[in-house]
Amino acid sequence: MALLQRGRCCGAAATTSLRRLVRGPQGRVCGRHVCSQYRASSSLPDEKKEFLQNGPDLQDFVSGAFSDKSMWAEYKGNLKRQKGERLRLPPWLKTEIPIGKNYNKLKSTLRSLNLHTVCEEARCPNIGECWGGGEYATATATIMLMGDTCTRGCRFCSVKTAKNPPPLDLNEPYNTAKAIAEWGLDYVVLTSVDRDDILDGGAEHFAKTVSHLKERNSKILVECLTPDFRGDLKAVEKVALSGLDVYAHNVETVPELQRKVRDPRANFKQSLQVLKHAKKVQPDLISKTSIMLGLGETDEQVYSTMKLLREADVDCLTLGQYMQPTKRHLKVEEYVTPDKFKHWEKVGNELGFHYTASGPLVRSSYKAGEFFLKNLVEKRKTKVI
Amino acid sequence: CRRSRGTGGPPAAAQLALTSCNLFDSSADRVTVHFINRDGERLTAMAKEGESLLEVVVNQNLGIDGFGACEGTLACSTCHLIFEEDVFQKLDAITDEELDMLDLAYGLTDTSRLGCQVCVKKVMDGLTVQVPMEVADMRRGLEVGKQSK
Repeated sequence: MALLQRGRCCGAAATTSLRRLVRGPQGRVCGRHVCSQYRASSSLPDEKKEFLQNGPDLQDFVSGAFSDKSMWAEYKGNLKRQKGERLRLPPWLKTEIPIGKNYNKLKSTLRSLNLHTVCEEARCPNIGECWGGGEYATATATIMLMGDTCTRGCRFCSVKTAKNPPPLDLNEPYNTAKAIAEWGLDYVVLTSVDRDDILDGGAEHFAKTVSHLKERNSKILVECLTPDFRGDLKAVEKVALSGLDVYAHNVETVPELQRKVRDPRANFKQSLQVLKHAKKVQPDLISKTSIMLGLGETDEQVYSTMKLLREADVDCLTLGQYMQPTKRHLKVEEYVTPDKFKHWEKVGNELGFHYTASGPLVRSSYKAGEFFLKNLVEKRKTKVI
Repeated sequence: CRRSRGTGGPPAAAQLALTSCNLFDSSADRVTVHFINRDGERLTAMAKEGESLLEVVVNQNLGIDGFGACEGTLACSTCHLIFEEDVFQKLDAITDEELDMLDLAYGLTDTSRLGCQVCVKKVMDGLTVQVPMEVADMRRGLEVGKQSK
């Protein structure tokens, strides 16, 4: 609030960032307050004044007192959305603003190589962590092929949409493979937007990128998070036989909510078919899928969806919290607690998935390399024994 | 009015700046539009002539969930709205592109249109549109009905 009292001018860029600070409880943007010069604190009611006196100050935030995990269990805020409400972000979903050498280096490398990442386009909250590089791993990024504009508008995704996105860059498979090989990653995730305007949905483009990459570096592990190609199984086959190690396709949510959450051209049965078919044509593949929680699904629905996925022989499952990317998208119905996520992880392991990555900030390719390699190494150990 | 926009990021934010700073805008060129939300709640907005109904919802932060996912580029059907018969007849002709997307919408009626393609005109003052129910809502309604029996 002190920043506003200095009476900043309403430059468009400044306004946008200041506006984020001024969000009221309903998420309404109080633009008028930005334009006023002075906001006298004597106009506040007494309880507010006391609240400001005794509440947290800048030091508490800077020292990291609020990111203390032990305080998560004490969080008393509302977790289930009531009518007309917009839920506030619980503490376990607050992430650090991405800064640092690695992050900046990655960003400039990507721009110079003309690569897009879904990390940026879909506003992933883990961007700082993955790009910054964790304790053991080098930086991971999920490269988005076929441009940054999708032909579908799903209600959970903030990737740009257009009816006729720009045509494919025919050099992209070669350039991407070259860039990734130069990068020296051990595990790379390739994903793409939906391209319903292209005959095969972009499958050939995808497959070429993978095969070029494997040619340059046969040791690199490649995971592809593909679209559903409108159910075109020949396209699925093309990608599945391109030489990748992990075939991923996200079902996104329980069957009951598919129509509400995803574009109407997508559905559960079609997505499950994609996963089944990939394994059918290439039995050595590892298949993977992901579900978002917090869109209004019930526990029974989640459990039965997990069972359906296991029956379709899907190997890996990730569960994460849905977070509303912009105001045009669906509101969060529920913030699922970290404990509940742990519960689902247990359920997943009991059902027999190779691994179940489950946590509020887990996304399809979050630590994908680490989980995969850890799992592989453990499996090899047991085989030897 | 703009029919299909590219990126809706920065321009929308700038537009919002203009809307909120126009504190002394004359109400003469404002059109009243009513949206009946999925739960029956009536939301009223003062739209500017030439704005699309999607822009009205987004710019005025009306509480309609998941509305306009594709930002008005005719690549989804989330801005599906149901009009009254007499108003529906007066709307501009529907294009093939809009029809393609509208066909995918849940709960399609004879007076349905996509909100991003309908621009507000002075003659539409007092317009009332219905936001269609969704599959999930219908199912939940049925379940609640069963339980109460």
